[in-house]
Amino acid sequence: MTPLLYDISLKLTYAYEVPVSGGRQLVRVLPLSIPGRQRLIAGTVTATPDATERSDSVDFFGNATTYFLFRNHHEELVMRMQARVQVDAVELDADLSPELPGLAEALIGCWSVDRNSPHHFLSPSPLLPTDADIAKYARETVAPGMTAYEIAWALCTRIYKDFKYDADATEVDTTPSAAFHLKRGVCQDFTHIMITALRALAIPAGYVSGFLRTIPPPGKPRLEGADAMHAWVRVWCGPALGWVELDPTNNIPSGTDHIVVGYGRDYADVAPVIGRVRGYGSHTTDQAVDVLLVA
Amino acid sequence: MTIANQSQSQKGNRSGGTGSDSSGYQPLTGIADEMVAADGSVRPVWKPLLAALNRMDEAELANRFARADRYLRDAGVYFRAYDKDGNTERSWPLSHIPVLIDDAEWQALSRGLVQRAELLEHITADIYGENELVKQGFLPPGLVAGNPEFLRPLVGVKPAGGHFLHFCSFEIGRGPDGKWWVLADRTQAPSGAGFALENRVATARAFSEIYGETHVERLAGFFRDFRDTLQASRQSPEDRIAVLTPGIANETYFEHAYIARYLGFMLLEGEDLSVVGGKVMVRTVSGLKPVGVLWRRMDAAFADPLELNDRSRIGTPGMVEALRAGSVSVVNAMGAGIVETRAFLAFMPAICRHLLGEKQILPSIATWWCGQKSEREHVARHLDRMIIGRAFSTTPFFDDKDQSQRGTDLRKSHADIVNYLASQGPNLVAQEAVTLSTTPAWVDGRLQPRPISLRVFAARTRDGWTIMPGGFARIGTGRDAAAMAMQAGGSAADVWIVNSKPVARTTLLATEDSFARAMPGSLPSRAADNLYWLGRYIERAEGALRILRAWHSRYAEAADASEPLLKDVSNYLHEVDIDSTQAVPESLVASIGSALYSAGNIRDRFSPDGWMALNDLSTTAKKFRADVKAGDDATQAMTILLRKLAGFAGLVHENMYRFTGWRFLTIGRTLERGLHMTRLLGHLSKPGAPDGALDMLLEIGDSVMTHRRRYNVSTAHLTVTDLLALDPLNPRSVLYQLNEIKREAELLPGSIVHSQMSEFYRATYRLQARLAVMTPEELTPSVYAGLESDLEMLSNLLAQAYLG
Repeated sequence: MTPLLYDISLKLTYAYEVPVSGGRQLVRVLPLSIPGRQRLIAGTVTATPDATERSDSVDFFGNATTYFLFRNHHEELVMRMQARVQVDAVELDADLSPELPGLAEALIGCWSVDRNSPHHFLSPSPLLPTDADIAKYARETVAPGMTAYEIAWALCTRIYKDFKYDADATEVDTTPSAAFHLKRGVCQDFTHIMITALRALAIPAGYVSGFLRTIPPPGKPRLEGADAMHAWVRVWCGPALGWVELDPTNNIPSGTDHIVVGYGRDYADVAPVIGRVRGYGSHTTDQAVDVLLVA
Repeated sequence: MTIANQSQSQKGNRSGGTGSDSSGYQPLTGIADEMVAADGSVRPVWKPLLAALNRMDEAELANRFARADRYLRDAGVYFRAYDKDGNTERSWPLSHIPVLIDDAEWQALSRGLVQRAELLEHITADIYGENELVKQGFLPPGLVAGNPEFLRPLVGVKPAGGHFLHFCSFEIGRGPDGKWWVLADRTQAPSGAGFALENRVATARAFSEIYGETHVERLAGFFRDFRDTLQASRQSPEDRIAVLTPGIANETYFEHAYIARYLGFMLLEGEDLSVVGGKVMVRTVSGLKPVGVLWRRMDAAFADPLELNDRSRIGTPGMVEALRAGSVSVVNAMGAGIVETRAFLAFMPAICRHLLGEKQILPSIATWWCGQKSEREHVARHLDRMIIGRAFSTTPFFDDKDQSQRGTDLRKSHADIVNYLASQGPNLVAQEAVTLSTTPAWVDGRLQPRPISLRVFAARTRDGWTIMPGGFARIGTGRDAAAMAMQAGGSAADVWIVNSKPVARTTLLATEDSFARAMPGSLPSRAADNLYWLGRYIERAEGALRILRAWHSRYAEAADASEPLLKDVSNYLHEVDIDSTQAVPESLVASIGSALYSAGNIRDRFSPDGWMALNDLSTTAKKFRADVKAGDDATQAMTILLRKLAGFAGLVHENMYRFTGWRFLTIGRTLERGLHMTRLLGHLSKPGAPDGALDMLLEIGDSVMTHRRRYNVSTAHLTVTDLLALDPLNPRSVLYQLNEIKREAELLPGSIVHSQMSEFYRATYRLQARLAVMTPEELTPSVYAGLESDLEMLSNLLAQAYLG
């Protein structure tokens, strides 16, 4: 299969009720380059009004970050990302993943804390404490003899079936526990629940933020989550198979319709914008996404 | 000597030859004691103190203890205790008997702690650098990657100056065999050094002549060396050094303020700081000023809401960016808290041999991490000798709010221990249940043995690590070491390191030949803001008190709130949000509360006397609110409150250094007083005001006598207006306030730059001039209304220019 070429644009708008006197924003919106999987051909991140200072960097997990410092009054802030990305189809290896005891052994043998080490993705993370109910749900999903990869798939499918996609049910700060009991939510909620479940089984799991192709290929349904930034799960399935990405919102593996922006332990590590402004009053936000197939 | 010989020592040799333990002090069997050696003899360094104690009668001793307590109270030493009713300030629980340690023993201990500080530095550098310890199998990856104190944004960030650790403390205890053990390492934001200083001053007050005769090592040199090192580590002499505090709600805020004042550093909160051009700057009333060294008393995760904990409300956005730029040196580097992790203790002996090529001089308490199979099996086999706690805990077992359990208790709650340890393994750590040594404490009228742990401080200086000769001893309440924490009722004691030879006396004060008159540094904008609002709230309260007193004294006579003047003033009060149907209105108590809150934010700038006066005012107001009745009772109450308020104002007026901070306080007070008088004049001197309004106005303006002397006529509209609005000599007149504001405004930073007035100064000047040329006839209600909005505008301009 030939690689796909996408033009991606993202517009994030913050409108402040009362003008703010300045602020600082940390932005993670630029797609990654991942050898053999996707390549960032060109990409820019810009802001209006012009930032007083700007710096671009790479965070612990390898994600591209941009800092903006604003030292002037403004009542609206618009941040834009534009990128051309080439996405290659990746053939998944045969299931070489071990069963749970084998996975635990493999973890003990992994003496590393670099950015791809599974050890970062086992413990509770800022937004994902352990949760007894989700852990029970996870254990129910496991049948004897299942490999780590099979367990991940089983959870992905079960969450897809048990939960209803509902953009009005949850907010960006809804806890996985709350979403789990609501049995509804959006990509972020499903991703958080699935990560929490996998970790409860001692399977390392992390958060992927990114984009979905807006207009589906001919004859295919439009995927949920294409109108905003998307999120899915990455699972460590042992040293042979490595990291595998599954999308519980659509019950599919991440493929050529998925463009990766960032990897982290949970949303807090990859939030598109973390900001603080000097001022008071409320604000509204808007997010517009377009992911067009060029060729 | 009335320290009764209450119980005869079981071992006859206890009193043999020393002649000084007639106190009947009796250590516990099988437990080491600081005063009494294993052979029952009193350790030599204790003998002079014990002999002196034995000479004193109970009254004298009580007197001496009271002297120490009085010092602590007058100095305002407190700590914050958390309980079911929220948190409250508690007076400092000093155990008056110091702990004495021989200098030779201390030197050996110090060598072990210096080695340990160096080891911790190496481990921290490795974790945030190459991670060889994990790669080579010395540190399990899960203990790093799963550690809440592993701050990923700091990975690869080289600290300014090259070192991660600059100030550490160690919790140490003496085991039954008489040897010292390290119970915990503190690298995040060690507390207690300032309290150790206060314990020293207080204890020396109680035992001044004994302290003088005993060769006790002084503490000041340790602080002086550290201060000099920090000053030398700045990249520019312009750079400020600041103590970064989480704020007044923190349990050791007193100490943050104390250390800052003692060493001459700024005391700042995250909100005071701004990161510009990769540099940490402090927002002051003179603009942004660079900060070169931050002594952080805030947990690192809270220091930057953008890159660390995004829920932090006490951090500085961009702090990590500044660290990356290497422009600010932080004591200790952010992320260094990870080496406090309890489970690390299990791996330190091997790491020490690996990294330093030598054995650990001072051992840690025996520790096993249950993430490993063989260790787990060992723990299960010896469970009854163990204390089980969380692997990632950063506190010693007696400090972690009951998160640690004795192995024997664990056995009761978990039938299958092996399985429990296996399932929870990586999260658990087991430690040998040690019995700490005891030290004499004065309990129930005699010396009794109480468990002790010692906090010792290490500072990095230009000559390497140095150990404070002394420390912070924590004394348990009962015989159980678990009750050591002050939150659990434990107390603190001074530690005397006793040399056989006279010791050098150092002081932090400069000697005369190096005398220089240093002006206070730039005032942080937040402090200015609090001073300004303290001034406004305290004056708002005074204004309300004066009106209410006048109202109630008339009500007491008329007993009719519908009488025209009373009704009219009630309406006025209603407009300014004061409910006159309440004898002591809620909003009055709230104003005093707001003043107290503002003052609390800048407590380091007040004398303890001023703070206590304000607290007293607030407490009294709350009490009155509950039980004072309208009329005479309320008149009386308002008079008492006014007097207390004047007491506070007097203390501030008499004692506060006349510099920038004073100006903001003064502008706040005078501006609020100007507003108060302008509004009142507009209301009570308007045409058609009820009978008696002008007299009441004079009374509220405290100008009855002056009016009588100056005008020699009965109250008339023009004379009252003249006196209360335009008389520049009347400290309650509106013009007087504007003169004051103008005078202070001119002295504020940036008021005149290149012969140009600042916007605030210009507006002040204009308003003052406008009023100064007016005559009483011109002052109509609409003029007062305009004046009121102009004064409000002054407040806004001041805030924009200085307080943002």
